[in-house]
Amino acid sequence: MTDVETDAIVDDTDVQPTAARTRRGVFGRLYHGETAIDFYGRRWWGLGLSIALLLLSIGSLVGQGLNLSLDFKGGVVWSVPSADLTEEQARAVLDEQGLEGSNAKVQVLTNRDSGLRTVEVQVGEQTDAVRQQVQQAFADEVDVPAADVSTNSVSSTWGKSITEKALRALVVFLVLVAAFIAWRLEWRMAGAAISAMLHDVLLSVGIYSLFGFEVTPATVVAFLTILGFSLYDTIVVFDKVQENQERYKAVRMPYADIMNVSMNQVLMRSLNTSLAAILPVLSLLVLGAGILGAVTLREFALALLVGLITGSYSSIFVASPLVAMAKEREPKFKSLRSSHATGAELERLVHGGTPLGRREHRRMTQGEVAAVSAALSPEAALTHTPRPRKKKRRV
Amino acid sequence: MRRKLILSLVLIMVLAYGTLLATVIGGLRPTLGLDLQGGVSVTQQPKAGTEFNSASLDLAVEKIRDRVDALGVAEPEILRQGDTIVVNLPGVENQDQAISLVQVTGQVYLRPVLTACFEVAPPDSGSTTTVAGTGSSTTLAVASADSVAPGPARPVSNGNTTTTEAGTSTTAAGTSTTAAAGDTSTTIAATATGATSTTVATNTTAAPLDDNGFPLQQSDPTASQYLPLTGTSQYCQVGPAQGTGEVFTDEVSAQVDPVQGWVVQAPLRGGAAGEDVWNNLAGQCYNREAACPTGQIAIELDGELQSVAEVQVPTFSGNVQISGSFSETDARNLAKVMNSGSLPVQLELVSVQNVSPTLGEDSLRAAWISGLVGIGLVLLFMIFYYRLLGVIVAIGLTVSGAILWSIVTLLSKTQGLALSLSGIAGIIVSVGVTVDSYVVFFERLKDEVRSGKTLRNSAQRGFAGAWRTIVIADLVSLIGAFVLWYLTVGAVRGFAFFLGLSTACDLVVSYFFTRPMVLLLARTQWMERRKVMGIEVTAAGGAS
Repeated sequence: MTDVETDAIVDDTDVQPTAARTRRGVFGRLYHGETAIDFYGRRWWGLGLSIALLLLSIGSLVGQGLNLSLDFKGGVVWSVPSADLTEEQARAVLDEQGLEGSNAKVQVLTNRDSGLRTVEVQVGEQTDAVRQQVQQAFADEVDVPAADVSTNSVSSTWGKSITEKALRALVVFLVLVAAFIAWRLEWRMAGAAISAMLHDVLLSVGIYSLFGFEVTPATVVAFLTILGFSLYDTIVVFDKVQENQERYKAVRMPYADIMNVSMNQVLMRSLNTSLAAILPVLSLLVLGAGILGAVTLREFALALLVGLITGSYSSIFVASPLVAMAKEREPKFKSLRSSHATGAELERLVHGGTPLGRREHRRMTQGEVAAVSAALSPEAALTHTPRPRKKKRRV
Repeated sequence: MRRKLILSLVLIMVLAYGTLLATVIGGLRPTLGLDLQGGVSVTQQPKAGTEFNSASLDLAVEKIRDRVDALGVAEPEILRQGDTIVVNLPGVENQDQAISLVQVTGQVYLRPVLTACFEVAPPDSGSTTTVAGTGSSTTLAVASADSVAPGPARPVSNGNTTTTEAGTSTTAAGTSTTAAAGDTSTTIAATATGATSTTVATNTTAAPLDDNGFPLQQSDPTASQYLPLTGTSQYCQVGPAQGTGEVFTDEVSAQVDPVQGWVVQAPLRGGAAGEDVWNNLAGQCYNREAACPTGQIAIELDGELQSVAEVQVPTFSGNVQISGSFSETDARNLAKVMNSGSLPVQLELVSVQNVSPTLGEDSLRAAWISGLVGIGLVLLFMIFYYRLLGVIVAIGLTVSGAILWSIVTLLSKTQGLALSLSGIAGIIVSVGVTVDSYVVFFERLKDEVRSGKTLRNSAQRGFAGAWRTIVIADLVSLIGAFVLWYLTVGAVRGFAFFLGLSTACDLVVSYFFTRPMVLLLARTQWMERRKVMGIEVTAAGGAS
């Protein structure tokens, strides 16, 4: 190794971790940025899992659909004039009538002038028979004639126009973001980033469908948050890939190596960020919704939790392999496709080393080297192999 | 260099904590949303016995949404119960204000234009007052009810079409004259989507402003007043209304004319209710009488002029055609407004009620407690992992927190922003994401140190690399936030607003706080030789 050139000042301290240092535990290696995981070689683990989960999500969405809340559907509302009917009593009345009281929206309205108190109870669309029956039940509950309890159809507060506008905006958004990524990074990354984002949103929505959780406007906002986070996270990873791509431009290096090096370098950042993003959500879920009992927080936090986890996961296990697989089709990388570094060699690369000068040679089979050398180089006739050419420094 | 860093650090901290202190001392707190605090519920319904159509009711709902939620952060609930419209507004204390906010008339007025429209933004750009010169002309033409594509075969190339020319064809095909017009309506489309035009505050004492920053005009059809021309920064002085949109039938439609492109065909009602009223006004304008010296008629909806067009025939029969350089959306929007104006909904107030919160104090408390615990956990983790640098994260979060809180408070005073439970949860979540910029930076810093550079160099280079990453990733978020904010309404708009706000805040804090803080620390002796960053820095540089 004495001959490895001046290139390797850095490497003198870092290159031979296995030999020079005592090997650290898993966390130690993570902490000190010494991982050398062959993400590329295991790409089908992640992709396979994702495809399976996606199929499950889509199956559930098609088969079961989503459980939309009153805000999207509108429904029927009973206005009960009463001075003392409580929310719990109102819900209990619904339960008795075979409607799910816990899903109803109950509001107390007080007239500013007369002080008249009205309890409004809203549930999803019901048949006329049910409407009258419940109207009667409320009237009995508060001891007024049935005619005093009014029954009305009510529109959704969300409204079709909101959905339509949001969908149109999303399409514009995707086009712009794809163009931006294609411009700043490259178009393959744009495709992969958007696929990963769709993957994340589909999985989160799929979970809502699968377990029949109620989708409220807050959930929709949570899905949008996921969409934003997923893109953000993927861009951070891709930025590293792009940087390494530039760095190894001059060297013949399989794309899989570039990808692996980038993933390992960015791994700790990804883990830390995910943990930092997930901790507050987990706290909302466990402490807020679980122990303190704020049920509304549960749905919101659950969507976010799933989204944040898949968002971090997909950047490394879905988006990056997709880019690698697309890039490998390029002529530049095609010929190098069959081999990529693993183990100690990968570890050395992760530490910022450039591939050894001899590496390309080592890559080829011995036979090839011999054949090429014999045919082309006069040096082949020499008694000993020449020292490798000095590489020109490149900025 | 050092001086600049210190200056930036001091400035941002003074700014953040100063505004926070000001809001706290001023006793200002963000308004809470309907779900947490309840609010005022205003119920309106069409006046008994009046005619209206469903389209005008829908338009009224759209109008109300624009008025109460221009920025998309107020989260009001607007719903139709049969024919009644219920608007629930969070955190409104003043009942009259709530009422005036949600009352839209839907009444379309026809008003003579007294002085030519003028640009307001740059005061000296009076040149734009050249009315007909601006190419985009609107044409009013009469068409007999039976002729579909009548006279307008006449090009209106520039606004100054002469009336004589018009006269000739009026008799012949019984139709149509071109009338050049004020430079109108190029962006009438803006009314539907560019909802921002009426920026209305729910609980401020300041008068609401229109999109040019002038106090919003309440339409007063009995007086002469200056009103904005929608989609432009122009104002026109208009006289008292001389008719309403009811002169037209509700069969106003946007059509394609082979020569003039998109036009609006507005059939007049017969007799005293329609034609007579219209012709009375048109006649005055045609003759440039004192009441209508410019010869132009403005179509007004709720304090905004939808279109200003010059009249060039004295009498119309059966049909009015408005043409100009309309795009399809322009024409369709104008037709929509005129249709709804032909049968305006006259809403009357049924009741104003206090509405109870759907979630209690408990939920709010749970959100705060669990949120703070969550953020605390994040900070503990950061300090455990990055040691001294973790402390920087903690201080940085208080800076971003102070900025965000001040802005949220300010907006709830001026724009009716109301924090709902999901909004609060969203803010808590955004903290986790903000931490990412620090993580990106610190990981780079560690990489640089490991590769043997001195701490000072590592910090410089580390930030340069990290900043690139942060900017790209944040720009994607900002693009998304802007598109969603611009193109949507309701809860989605609110989400986009906060996403943009927290992302912008992240950029500012990274550059003006984190950078100087770390760079300055990296210059001190103290940072070296200690495990302050979670890795040991040796004197010569490098890490072991």
